[in-house]
Amino acid sequence: MLLDFALPEHERKLIPEGRVSGSMPWVIAIMTFLTVLAASAGLIMLNATQQGSDDIARQVTVQIVEPDPAARNAQRDRLAEMLKRDDGVSQAEIVPDAEIRELLIPWLGEDIEEANIPVPSLIDVTLRESADAAKLDALAAKIRPISPSAKLDSQANWIAPFFALMNSLLMLTGGILLLLLLATSATVMLAVRSALNTHKETLGIMHMLGGTDVQAARLFQRRMALDALLGAVVGFVLAAVIIWILSFQFSAAGSGLLTGASMPWYGWIIIALIPLGVMGLAMLIARRTALSALRNIT
Amino acid sequence: MQSVVEFDNVGLRYGTGSETLSDVSFTLYPGSFYFLTGASGAGKTSLLKLLYLAHRPSRGSIRMFGNDAVTLSRERLPGFRRRIGVVFQDFRLVQHLSARDNIALPLRIAGIQEKDLAGPVKEMLNWIGLSERADARPATLSGGEQQRVAIARAVIGRPEILVADEPTGNVDPEMARRLLQLFAALNKLGTTIVVATHDIHLINEIEDTQMMRLDKGRLSDPTGSLRNPPKPLVLKS
Repeated sequence: MLLDFALPEHERKLIPEGRVSGSMPWVIAIMTFLTVLAASAGLIMLNATQQGSDDIARQVTVQIVEPDPAARNAQRDRLAEMLKRDDGVSQAEIVPDAEIRELLIPWLGEDIEEANIPVPSLIDVTLRESADAAKLDALAAKIRPISPSAKLDSQANWIAPFFALMNSLLMLTGGILLLLLLATSATVMLAVRSALNTHKETLGIMHMLGGTDVQAARLFQRRMALDALLGAVVGFVLAAVIIWILSFQFSAAGSGLLTGASMPWYGWIIIALIPLGVMGLAMLIARRTALSALRNIT
Repeated sequence: MQSVVEFDNVGLRYGTGSETLSDVSFTLYPGSFYFLTGASGAGKTSLLKLLYLAHRPSRGSIRMFGNDAVTLSRERLPGFRRRIGVVFQDFRLVQHLSARDNIALPLRIAGIQEKDLAGPVKEMLNWIGLSERADARPATLSGGEQQRVAIARAVIGRPEILVADEPTGNVDPEMARRLLQLFAALNKLGTTIVVATHDIHLINEIEDTQMMRLDKGRLSDPTGSLRNPPKPLVLKS
């Protein structure tokens, strides 16, 4: 098919090439623009989901609920020591009491200390691998002898609905890409049919002189490929500029949930291939449409 | 002698109308020169369309180059059409191509390399007297010039059969004579020529031609009185 694309000049002249003048390249540009944006959104979400779920699935908080502050601090220190020595734990850090107070002030007010409320101690634990139920049970079994009232809180539990939403959005993005693919195919099909109609007379003459359907289809295939490539490059460049600007804004936001919300390196390669994919699709659809329609021309 | 074309009891009907051609049977032999005459509406153009494989008959059989042309697959049609040169009554030149490119078209379609077709195209342009207008588009050529380009396009590939529908209708008598001489030269090289014409004077321009006459879609008077005495035309009916 690629060899068909490189037609000699005299053969190209058989169908006059009025690129740009037609609407096809601009429709393809819009389709490609939307496709690149949708694909980028999907790739960024996928990256964020993968990265976020990896990080969060390794995060566990140990909560020591003990009314006696001295006993609570003693249990906390022993637990921290034990966790730091554990092979399955990469990091265990005691959350400073001041930080915990800061977290609670919005709910319990400034006079939290005077109120003598038993505030739990917290240890942030980062596991070496994702925490599944078995690993959490094993860790809880190690913790219980030191602090029977300690609770393990996996961050994956509260973040699960967020990732379920991300997965739904990914599926939606896939659906949008599929629809754009169909719309692009339909655009090419209509453009080829219109061009075939315009050049019906020339095609009839070619047939009478012994031209084959494949020879004629190659002419349309080439023309559609050029139109599609032109439109796809324009659409890609516009979309790439927008993605680049948005990437900066995401970086500037610096929110925890958006930490992984950036285009992965392989994402740029994938979206750079979209214009070529659009051109390939246009060539394929043009060839099939032309061959099918030419059968109705004598 | 092996025939190039054999029509046997051929009928042609467009849509649900009455038959345009009925019970047409004849045989064309290689290197023969045929004139096809008949009044307007007699079916000459329809018969030529069957000859250059633009239509398939409604009934009967057509054999061409030893093959059944009625059931010929679409994939094999181009190969057969390349062996047939056609001069259309309305010329059917490609409007956005120059005279030179129109003449070169059959060779390009047949896959002839550019270096091999420049010479024959130039020679053909000289022959039809349009060297100076080689780059002109058909719309800027007169009717006669367009007709000459159409004829050059039909003969440049040295077809085995040349089918011409009123090829001299738009040219002056001198050019008509020159075009017929070109046809005769091709004929001597072995090309079977079929020329549909109203002009009975043309028939006397070429030696050893045979005549077919169509009357209301039926082939009649094959040894007719227009040419006296005509060479016996091999006809089945």
